[in-house]
Amino acid sequence: MEDNTNKTAAVKERKVKGRVEIDIQKCKGCELCTTACKEHALALSETINIKGYRYIIANNDACTGCVNCALVCPDAVITVYRTHPKKKPVDITPENIREQLQTMISPSK
Amino acid sequence: MKGNEAMAEAAILAGCDAYFGYPITPQSEVLEYLAREMPKHNRIVMQAESEVASINMVYGAAGAGFRAMTSSSSPGISLMQEGISYIAGAELPCLIVNVNRAGPGLGTIQPGQGDYFQSVKGGGHGDYKMIVLAPASVQEMADFVYLGFDLADKYRNPVLMLSDGAIGQMMEKVQFKPYTRPAVDKSWATTGKPKTRNRNYITSLFIQPERMEQHNLKLEEKFKKIRENEVRFEEINTADAEYLFVAYGLSARICQKAMDIAREKGIKIGLLRPITLYPYPYKRLEELAAQVKMMLSVELNSGQMVEDVRLAVNGKVPVEFYGRMGGMMPTPEEIVHHLETLIQYHHAN
Repeated sequence: MEDNTNKTAAVKERKVKGRVEIDIQKCKGCELCTTACKEHALALSETINIKGYRYIIANNDACTGCVNCALVCPDAVITVYRTHPKKKPVDITPENIREQLQTMISPSK
Repeated sequence: MKGNEAMAEAAILAGCDAYFGYPITPQSEVLEYLAREMPKHNRIVMQAESEVASINMVYGAAGAGFRAMTSSSSPGISLMQEGISYIAGAELPCLIVNVNRAGPGLGTIQPGQGDYFQSVKGGGHGDYKMIVLAPASVQEMADFVYLGFDLADKYRNPVLMLSDGAIGQMMEKVQFKPYTRPAVDKSWATTGKPKTRNRNYITSLFIQPERMEQHNLKLEEKFKKIRENEVRFEEINTADAEYLFVAYGLSARICQKAMDIAREKGIKIGLLRPITLYPYPYKRLEELAAQVKMMLSVELNSGQMVEDVRLAVNGKVPVEFYGRMGGMMPTPEEIVHHLETLIQYHHAN
């Protein structure tokens, strides 16, 4: 049972996490990024984009935010966002937006 | 820059007056780029309703004395063949770019070199030939636009640039060389009849067979001149070569790497890369046939250029073929492995 839970967790806990955004319509599926990714977080899609190319899809759970993929991409279709554990994610909702923005501008208050 | 974009930018620098095209992957970037940039230079870009329409628009623009160009990928170029034959028959200069993909039919959008026969043997109906340039890098995609327009103007003949899906999509450094347009006499163009000269006719129709034959002979004379003067090729490591790769375009790029691997293993191999596929460097290949033991033609098709290599060599040395199809590209290691097996085979026999 314990083994199974480990498998479903699949990816080990990391301090730094990344999130990859891909402009799928610009991607030509050259697969430079899939070889550059040490975590095998990128793969070719089964479906095609508007030009007929299979594009890249990302498994964000496996992403460490190393940005290798974005650096190697010849068409600059990849953007990587990195989250850091020390910085708390800002949760902005319409209700608390004024409050949140104020804390962001002057955190001391 | 992407190969397609480099080519489009070079077309602007070469003074291309009009571009007519129809989008098709992997060539769409040409139309996208030119549609954005050409109006800034007061030039014409038009997305035609089909490839058939775009080549006939090129026919018209070229007839009026403008530098006209179109581009497409394999299925589109097939559609254009009628128009290309008319342009060749009417002796008009224009540049056609084929960003080759794998076929037949709609095929796939990945690179291929299956349009070799169509490009160099005419393609459309009737006795005609196009000058065919085969770029192997993004830099050459740009350079050959200048060269293509100049050759077209010089011989009043359509010029085809036979690229492929990978070079068109590849991102590489490119330097746009300064270009001066040579002065060309275009007094044959239909620009409106002034009182001082007779009417200019642009036609490929000659009803009387006597006149048609004269026209054919004139064209043949021109193609002969092209064969004599415009053969271009690149040789790498052929001075001490015992074996020879013959490859053009993308496969020549792969062969260069394969050549390095083979040379490290002690196989003395060179590479001959035809830059003009028509006219083909038959003469040089014939000379090399006296020097090497075997030639290997590497292509992304089922064996098309290999026939021209065999024609040039005329049975003096064995000419072998290796190719992948359907948009698959061979790895350099794969080619070297094939080369080694062939060398062993020929050594044993």
